Amino acid sequence: MFQPKPMTHLLIAASKEQMASVVTELYRHRVFHITDFVDQGKEGYEGVKLGVPFENAGQLSSDLIKIRSIENVFQTSPGTQFDVPVRPAETIRAAINNELPKIESEVSTLTAKRSNAETKIRECEQRINELKPFALVPVELDLYRGYESLAVYAGYIEKDIDFAFPSEKYFAAGKDGNFLVAFVESANAQEAEKVLSDAGFISVSLPTETGTVQAAIDKYNTELVQAKADLADASAKILEAKAKYADLLAACDEVLSCDVERAEAPLRFATTEEAFVLDGWVPYDDVAKIEAGLIQATGGHVFVTVDEDEINYDEVPVEYNNPAFAKPAEVLMDLYARPKFKELDPTIILSIMFPLLFGVIVGDVGYGLIYLALALVGRKLLMRMGEMGAKAFKIILGCGISTVVFGLLYSEIFGLSLPWHSILFSRHLPIGGDHLPQVMDLLVISVAIGVIYLSVGWIFGMINHARMDHKGAHRTKAILGKFGWFAMFWGMLIILFSLIDIGTFIAGITIPLPNLTVIGLPLTIVGAVLFVLGAVFVARENPLDLMEIPTNLLSHMLSFCRIAAVGLSSVAIAMVVNFLAMEFFISPALADFSVVGVLLIIVGVLVLIIGHALNVVLGVIGGALHPIRLHYVEFFTKFYQGGGVIYKPFGLKRKFSEE
Amino acid sequence: MAVEALITDIGAQAIGSGLAAVGAGLAVGLAGIGTGVGEQGIGAAAVGATAEDRGMFGLALLFTVLPETVVIFGLVIALLIMFI
Repeated sequence: MFQPKPMTHLLIAASKEQMASVVTELYRHRVFHITDFVDQGKEGYEGVKLGVPFENAGQLSSDLIKIRSIENVFQTSPGTQFDVPVRPAETIRAAINNELPKIESEVSTLTAKRSNAETKIRECEQRINELKPFALVPVELDLYRGYESLAVYAGYIEKDIDFAFPSEKYFAAGKDGNFLVAFVESANAQEAEKVLSDAGFISVSLPTETGTVQAAIDKYNTELVQAKADLADASAKILEAKAKYADLLAACDEVLSCDVERAEAPLRFATTEEAFVLDGWVPYDDVAKIEAGLIQATGGHVFVTVDEDEINYDEVPVEYNNPAFAKPAEVLMDLYARPKFKELDPTIILSIMFPLLFGVIVGDVGYGLIYLALALVGRKLLMRMGEMGAKAFKIILGCGISTVVFGLLYSEIFGLSLPWHSILFSRHLPIGGDHLPQVMDLLVISVAIGVIYLSVGWIFGMINHARMDHKGAHRTKAILGKFGWFAMFWGMLIILFSLIDIGTFIAGITIPLPNLTVIGLPLTIVGAVLFVLGAVFVARENPLDLMEIPTNLLSHMLSFCRIAAVGLSSVAIAMVVNFLAMEFFISPALADFSVVGVLLIIVGVLVLIIGHALNVVLGVIGGALHPIRLHYVEFFTKFYQGGGVIYKPFGLKRKFSEE
Repeated sequence: MAVEALITDIGAQAIGSGLAAVGAGLAVGLAGIGTGVGEQGIGAAAVGATAEDRGMFGLALLFTVLPETVVIFGLVIALLIMFI
């Protein structure tokens, strides 16, 4: 909680003969985060070079490329395959050796057939289009060529022309343009071309077919039908092959990806002529397991040591270490940034407060049930998205439940009242209803949540500086800087409460607020001292920071008003939708029943459905984005930097195969 | 006289509450325009960033809603005008 998993820095050294067993063993455990060796002449690493991949890496990579290209033809990937039985990796390797060439040739035959058919279709269509204008001319196709003393022209022209010399021509007006065919003596060809080009003639190539135009077009049409049948046949066969091989290909893809990753692992090692050194991190709890495994795999020919030198915490990979219920919120954290190793990890706060605030904002039994239903309907889809989808599902579920609970407390269902009066605060607006919302109470509670968030933020900020900065005057200044903001903030609040009796000052508030004006001046002085002291501490760290007083103290606190405001606007939309549908359409129709009345009722129901659907979507934006933003912008800026190295253990999570 | 004064009083009240409603509308409307002006640049950049890298979507959406604070303040003022 609040801390990532403790990590241990491991150095593994062995002779090169053991490299394969070490790699296999580490890959199997899937806990070792390799720090890539960079050849830059680090002290103590003179003469050490990057490793070279295992011999079979080239072959494996080319096999993998073949698999991927077949998958590309089938438009599948391991990510789109589900419910595939897990097979032993050896069987799959055998399949890669025995069946892959067969599958590859089958697929390439099919794709060749498909692309031939596609080419044929294109050609036929093109020929038909080119022949079509000639159908307007009553001349057989053989007659367009084979002359020694005649020049033939065919093409599109704007309007008919006349030649000043003997010629034979045919002009046909068509909707795609006017078509002209002309036969002139070769002697007049030059002049004819000039006349034609002056008239804006666009020539087309002369046909090479024989017989009548229609016969030629019919012939191409027959070929076209055949080619289309071939294409359909090839596509169907490809689909058939896809159904047959897709799961095997996914498994092959996985096994080969693993093999390639292992074969290329030495590229991340530091090697000498005879030995290699592997640098990386292992979760503290797994050290003993890894050590024992390596010793067993190499028969004791390996040197594993825990590096206990001074640690550069910025290099330590960070793996979340949260209780199960908080895990889903890690998605929301990674959206911002992974915490640094020594930084407080606020995931747990986010995991509790995000669904809670979602519920506070949307708070409606009807909408909550819709969110729950959507989550359950989309469950399979989300689960297929892997770990992230599963986490998203849990977050939506949490938000849905919280929305229902707050809906019960607010007494709201689709903007209507439940049979009881609101238990918490009323958010019922005077739209077609009778009681007033407790706007002030809601706003005050929202701001109070803000006050807590900001205070916790600055306290976390102090802790983070204390833990992460190097010891010295700078660290003290930074910690006091955060304390300065905290002091100014509370100084401001104390001054406010000592001068004004907020409880009676704000009209319509029912929450009992302490009346601190009875203490009066002494309290004001305490507040003022705190404020000035805070300002001094902040200025000591950086005087320019004082510019942020309005935003940090006021804007950020008042920004939490959105919890009440966005919630009220959601209620308002729901109530307006109900009011519109009931008062304008459904109630008048029911009072005076007729055919028009039925239509009115249908329109009214449509207004209800569309309006509430819109509000459900807006609820996601209001209920999810605003709390997230409050955390990211108002809360995290007080203490959180992020940017830690993400823990990526060496190894692939297998879905289709097992070693 | 007394009746006349009463009528004027009721009239003034009606005008007052009408003006309050106009004020509430202006608070939300003008703040909304401000937010829109703020969001237009961010939105364009966010769409660009998302087109480049779909992983940016979450962060881009978040940046886009940042200026929404302005309209929330407007909404709060409107609520205060209407219900207090």
